Amino acid sequence: MTEVIPTKQMPPGLQVDKVDDRIMTLNVGPQHPGSGHMRIIVKIDGDYIVDADPDPGYVHRGEEKMAEARNYITNIPHLERPVIHDSCNILYPYVLGVEDLVGIEVPERAKYVRVIAAELNRCIYIQYWLAIYGIFLGHSTMFMWPAGDRELLIDLMEKITGARVTHAYFIPGGVRNDVPANFEDVCLRQVNYFEQRIKEYADIFYDNPILKARTEDTGVLSREDAIRLGTTGSVLRASGVDYDVRVKEPYDVYDELDVHTNVLKSGDSYARSKVPWLDMLESCNIIRQALEKMPKSGSIRTKLKPNPKGGLGEVYRRVESGRGAAGCYIISKEKPEPYRLKLSVGSFRNLIALPYLLKGEKLGNMPAVYWSLNYWPVEADR
Amino acid sequence: MGTATGIIKALNSGVKHLAVKRFTLRYPEQKLKFVGDGYQFDPSSGVAIAGLKGRHMLFHDHCTGCQLCSIACEGVAEAIGMVKVPDKWGQNAKSIMPQIDYGKCVFCGLCVDACPFYALYMSNDYELSSFTKEGLIYTPAQLQVKPQVQQDSELIIDKRGARHG
Repeated sequence: MTEVIPTKQMPPGLQVDKVDDRIMTLNVGPQHPGSGHMRIIVKIDGDYIVDADPDPGYVHRGEEKMAEARNYITNIPHLERPVIHDSCNILYPYVLGVEDLVGIEVPERAKYVRVIAAELNRCIYIQYWLAIYGIFLGHSTMFMWPAGDRELLIDLMEKITGARVTHAYFIPGGVRNDVPANFEDVCLRQVNYFEQRIKEYADIFYDNPILKARTEDTGVLSREDAIRLGTTGSVLRASGVDYDVRVKEPYDVYDELDVHTNVLKSGDSYARSKVPWLDMLESCNIIRQALEKMPKSGSIRTKLKPNPKGGLGEVYRRVESGRGAAGCYIISKEKPEPYRLKLSVGSFRNLIALPYLLKGEKLGNMPAVYWSLNYWPVEADR
Repeated sequence: MGTATGIIKALNSGVKHLAVKRFTLRYPEQKLKFVGDGYQFDPSSGVAIAGLKGRHMLFHDHCTGCQLCSIACEGVAEAIGMVKVPDKWGQNAKSIMPQIDYGKCVFCGLCVDACPFYALYMSNDYELSSFTKEGLIYTPAQLQVKPQVQQDSELIIDKRGARHG
């Protein structure tokens, strides 16, 4: 290096630090070369990463601020935008919170319909995530199969809600419409076939020695670090912590269903990629239980004014989304609009672990570690 | 399990798919069949009827020009504007009706939930592409037309796998 550019006004990725010539700074992203719309600034020494700095914020839309100008009903299509293919789960804490603020009861049947829709949505999200994980590792079959099998559940969600993604289905007081006639049979048939299909992934992906060689012992997150860094969802469960909001703080009818959590001990990329797959198999069980226990008829929505006013107070509710605990904090001051609204999402909390995991890894292992964190860029930016 | 066995099992798992029927749908020739006639709302019970959220259907003889659909859309997409229509009915004294811009619409269906007069529904028509931006703006006269859709393909699951037929 002949001259040193002053680093004061430069954005972090463009800084030219006066360091040893061995260290090279590399920008991964933000033009979506397998990072999502975010940038990871990695410093490499030869083939080994010595420092990684994730730089999210390229798809920030200000959903939380926008929510302060819209009433409790018109917020619904907006708040599901951060994760369009997991839209029921990201909307769930908001809807539960508004129900507390407005003070309405949800009919029993609506609670079961909500659980079924949320579990179907979790599978749709995880299939999409798994497809991208497959193509990150150069396994194009694992891109095609989940992307195709995901259609089965998208077809089901389309039958219930009328939209393939961005369903806008949950509403304070229940759900917007009842499930179509003979839905139970169609759902059971399609979920059973779906389960049979995802069990086939074991041979080609999870028991495949090539995948194991690639992902085992990369990016190991110990149990203590996972708790200390505040990770959540599948990342936490892959590190040996048995934590699932559906079990620990059951909402709606999860306390009446038998929910089994999947915990793996090793905490490496392989465990983090396997836990969501086990979660999908568990979701199929939950859907079957819910279909069996669901009241066969009854109300599905408590009537609510088109412009409801929340009471005076604040509420924080959380649910287990496809990426971990998703929370929603609302302050209401007796107006039709929320005074403040904040989302606490799993993606952002898992991203914090990335610099710790990448240190000392080879650059080629970066995609395997990064996407195993179950991270969705748009949700982290909100 | 040894490495060689694992690789052979993985290959075998893929080879088995040579016998499985094609899952995907040949789109312009085959079209997926949907439940019902589209998303509808029953204001008396306050519950909607399941169906595809496609292009809207406007029933001129029910519309009173109350602008509730337009108000419901204000916070969501601002896709609905009220326009003058030449005909004058008894129930629509101001003779205004909704005009929908599908360049902005997000198909959430909250406008259908807002209509208390059974005037605005959604239909099974989802093929709305246009060469111009103006072509995406549907006037009340265009929204009145019932879409002619041929949707016959359904998802079949049997022992040989899932396919569309």
